[in-house]
Amino acid sequence: MSWRAEAVAVWAFAIRNLLMATRNVFFFFELLFWPIVGVVSIGLMTRFLELRQDATAFVLLGTIALSVVQVCQLEVAYAVLFDVWSKSIKHQFLAPIGLRHLTLGSWIVGMGRGVVIFLILAVLGWWAFGVNVLAPGAGALLAFLAGCFLTAWIIGVAVCALITLFGNRAEAFAWASANFVLLLAGIYYPVSVLPPPVAAVASAIPLTHFLDAYRAHYGFASAFAHPIAIGFALAAAYALLAHLALAAALRHARSSGLLLKMSE
Amino acid sequence: MERMLPFSSMLAIEARDVEKTFRAGWIRRRHTEALRGVSLAVPRGAIVGVLGPNGAGKTTLLSIFATLLTPDRGSVTILGHDVVRDAPALRRRLNMASGRPSFLWSLRVGEIVAFYGRLYGLYGATLRRRVDELIETFELTSHRRAQYNELSTGLKQRLALAKALVNEPELLFLDEPTLGLDPDVSVRVRAHIASLRRERGMTIVLTTHYMREAEELCDEIAFIKGGRILAHGTADDLKRQIGLGDVIALRVEPRATWLRTAPGVLRCAESDGWVECTVDDAEKRLPDLLRQLLAEGRTVKSVQVREPELEEVFVELAR
Repeated sequence: MSWRAEAVAVWAFAIRNLLMATRNVFFFFELLFWPIVGVVSIGLMTRFLELRQDATAFVLLGTIALSVVQVCQLEVAYAVLFDVWSKSIKHQFLAPIGLRHLTLGSWIVGMGRGVVIFLILAVLGWWAFGVNVLAPGAGALLAFLAGCFLTAWIIGVAVCALITLFGNRAEAFAWASANFVLLLAGIYYPVSVLPPPVAAVASAIPLTHFLDAYRAHYGFASAFAHPIAIGFALAAAYALLAHLALAAALRHARSSGLLLKMSE
Repeated sequence: MERMLPFSSMLAIEARDVEKTFRAGWIRRRHTEALRGVSLAVPRGAIVGVLGPNGAGKTTLLSIFATLLTPDRGSVTILGHDVVRDAPALRRRLNMASGRPSFLWSLRVGEIVAFYGRLYGLYGATLRRRVDELIETFELTSHRRAQYNELSTGLKQRLALAKALVNEPELLFLDEPTLGLDPDVSVRVRAHIASLRRERGMTIVLTTHYMREAEELCDEIAFIKGGRILAHGTADDLKRQIGLGDVIALRVEPRATWLRTAPGVLRCAESDGWVECTVDDAEKRLPDLLRQLLAEGRTVKSVQVREPELEEVFVELAR
């Protein structure tokens, strides 16, 4: 496949997701309502608890990361969910596309939505609670957002694999999985407060390291050596595993007939 | 069983001993044998119909050919490619439309065709041209901006056909392409399917429940039941294979009761003054019957000879 054909196939999924999003009334809720409700309610709670400004920044950063990862992973999961809901999944796998086109195209849209949400929540956090989430600078911010988006891609592709393997029954994973991972990654607390076995699991999640690195810019001691490097290394390993899991799930769906069943 | 047509020396599809079993259930495993050793050869440029009762394995067979399902055993070569090993390369050259189409509910007609066009590597002016052409061909111009969930059944089916031609496939699979369509739309769809072979040399494999459609369109018909191909050939071949015979309908006065015991007569039925005799070979038996009737001084007012309908073959095979 030429690089142009590769780009066109990725673009096809990006346009499709974008068109579907613009015609979905829940798009507004996903993009604005829930993230804003999250930041406002958590921000007000920090006021009530009379937290110091650095502790407020700690918690709000976690809240913003949660929204960015959730929205982006959901968009990646839509790569398969849209077709399962519309029972058209066989048509896309009848075409000469690879899984990379499907997931990358959706991921591009997810990142776009993630950036928009991040900017809105950053402005809200600064205006309402005096927290400047852009303070660590462009380099640190890029690494942090890259970590959020890579985590979202991994969760989204894993959800796609589960849906391809189990059909509609696995749909709940699409909505719940990001929350579960983010609970472990320490969105509202340092992972040091977790029980040791859970903290060990948390340290295996890439986002834990990216949050740790970004929070270090607000004066919190880093719990890890080289968190950015470890975060990217973990993300690369999980991304590969998630991709292989989706490929295996698709092979199984072609063999078991689930691919056809999901199109009936 | 396999029979070549004089379209091309090469086969578009060559399936040998294909088997497929579906397994379901975690605790109590259930097994459904969908295909039990199907062998089929489809010449390039031919239209071949796969007929059979519900649950016979038609859609399973088509799905294996279209790379959507992998066979458990046997080999399938499509356009010179192994259907499992070379599936990615093969997908560029084939496409499929179903009689029960489903696409993304809020995409518009033009957007759906364009989306699938991009998946086949089309972009820019080429993509726009192809989308325009298909929308015009399938008379979807006035619905171009309509969302999929606003379309009628007929429009959805026409859209499915447009999508199936977006990559100009060499091999097209049509799963009940006229299911649920109004008769006039069915006629137009059938005419278009015939023109695809005539004008583009496309090989088409279709499943249908409409015998008239199969007889009108297909060069060859494979009759499948219980996961096995029971008969394969032209419609005439099938009629001969089944041994249904020809029908000689006569209006004779006065009645000749000996007709039902005459040589070569398989059975006789009377209605509205007509005697319908099913004979082994009308060409051979008709002169003898007429000679004897005239010799007895009877008046033969009308004679009609017809072959059995494909539907009768279907009923006989499905029994």
